[in-house]
Amino acid sequence: MDSLSLPEIEGIIEALLFAHGEPLPLQKICDILEIDKKTVKSLINNMNIKYEKNDRGIMIRDINEKYQLCTKFQYYPYVKKLFDYKQAPSLSQAAFETLAIIAYNQPVTKAKIEKIRGVNCESAISKLLERNLIREAGRLDAPGKPVLYETTEQFLKSFGFSSIKDLPVLDMDI
Amino acid sequence: MESSLTNACKIKIEKFEGPLDLLFHLIEKNKMNIYDIPISEITDQYMDYLFSMKQMDLEIASEFLVMASALLHIKSKMLLPKPKKEENSQEEEDPRQQLVVSLLEYKKYKQFSMQLSDRMELWSKVFYKEPEMIEFAKIEKLINLCPFELRRTYLHIMGRNAKKANPGASNITEILKTEKVTLKSKINEIISLLARKAVIIFSSVFSLAKRSRTEVVTGFLAVLELAKLKKIRIEQDYITGDIKITKCEESGS
Repeated sequence: MDSLSLPEIEGIIEALLFAHGEPLPLQKICDILEIDKKTVKSLINNMNIKYEKNDRGIMIRDINEKYQLCTKFQYYPYVKKLFDYKQAPSLSQAAFETLAIIAYNQPVTKAKIEKIRGVNCESAISKLLERNLIREAGRLDAPGKPVLYETTEQFLKSFGFSSIKDLPVLDMDI
Repeated sequence: MESSLTNACKIKIEKFEGPLDLLFHLIEKNKMNIYDIPISEITDQYMDYLFSMKQMDLEIASEFLVMASALLHIKSKMLLPKPKKEENSQEEEDPRQQLVVSLLEYKKYKQFSMQLSDRMELWSKVFYKEPEMIEFAKIEKLINLCPFELRRTYLHIMGRNAKKANPGASNITEILKTEKVTLKSKINEIISLLARKAVIIFSSVFSLAKRSRTEVVTGFLAVLELAKLKKIRIEQDYITGDIKITKCEESGS
């Protein structure tokens, strides 16, 4: 495979992503191309820059080191005309606040979330579970064995993060 | 000054996510310094809000009441004269500290939650392609062979399997059917035999010489079943001896 040129490899990655549809693990791409992860990552990065420059309709998303093609935001008004598409209803402020707390403190118990928010979070949590933005992550080894919650890959996908490390640093200043 | 603030509060009854959310709203609206909250003022406004909620018959979540009592507690603490101390630093003693920490922490997540809301809006505008089933058509290759090759292969297989093959196989005209012996049929058989004969000997009726193993076993089970139902009486003089079967007239039917 050494004889492949970089543009050719990029072409192959694009073909793989197109054919696979679902998020494609980085490792799988490396195995197919017999190239190390670092190189593949930088190639994908390069591809995204090119997609951006050349006014292409797609981009590559990185979700926990799995890659997936998706359309660009700016073409949304056009693409949506293809479908009878209704945007999923947004979440309540309570759900967003609960999600924000879970994102930064995961895995976290309901009690901790409620302590920060100062209100009951039962319904917000069940809404988030229903939307598959959070999931149960075992139980805390404490009296009552409370359930722990963490965010899902769906969370990363829905909010445009590539991993939990990608969350912005919160500053305590007012 | 205060009346205008309370009026402003009355006019706009927003839905707050909780006591902290409401406190924040009040702090921001009045441009208060969060590190030095005028506790008496904010408590009044907070209480006003709760009263107006009550007037409008809105249900007040218990958390709001808990916060109200906490505020009043802080307020009363602040009113009490401070015990004289050599140092003037209030930092550790300030009864508002806990509240400020909670408020700051809440604010941090609230701000992020607004970012989340924007991000969700943005990222709901991208589309992914569902993976589709990619089927690869099977390509059947034609092999170019002469008929003799087929014959040669056939003979080769026959020769190879000569030992295993049963030469008498061609004589078989019928495939052995599996016997179907039911307990019910055997029970009926015994009853009809007993109708004709007073005594029957089990081994003479169900002997392995005349019947299959399954039939004998099922026949024996039928005898046991009938004996249990008290339709027949069974006698055996000694172990492994003949089993005599007789009708059980009196108790039966």
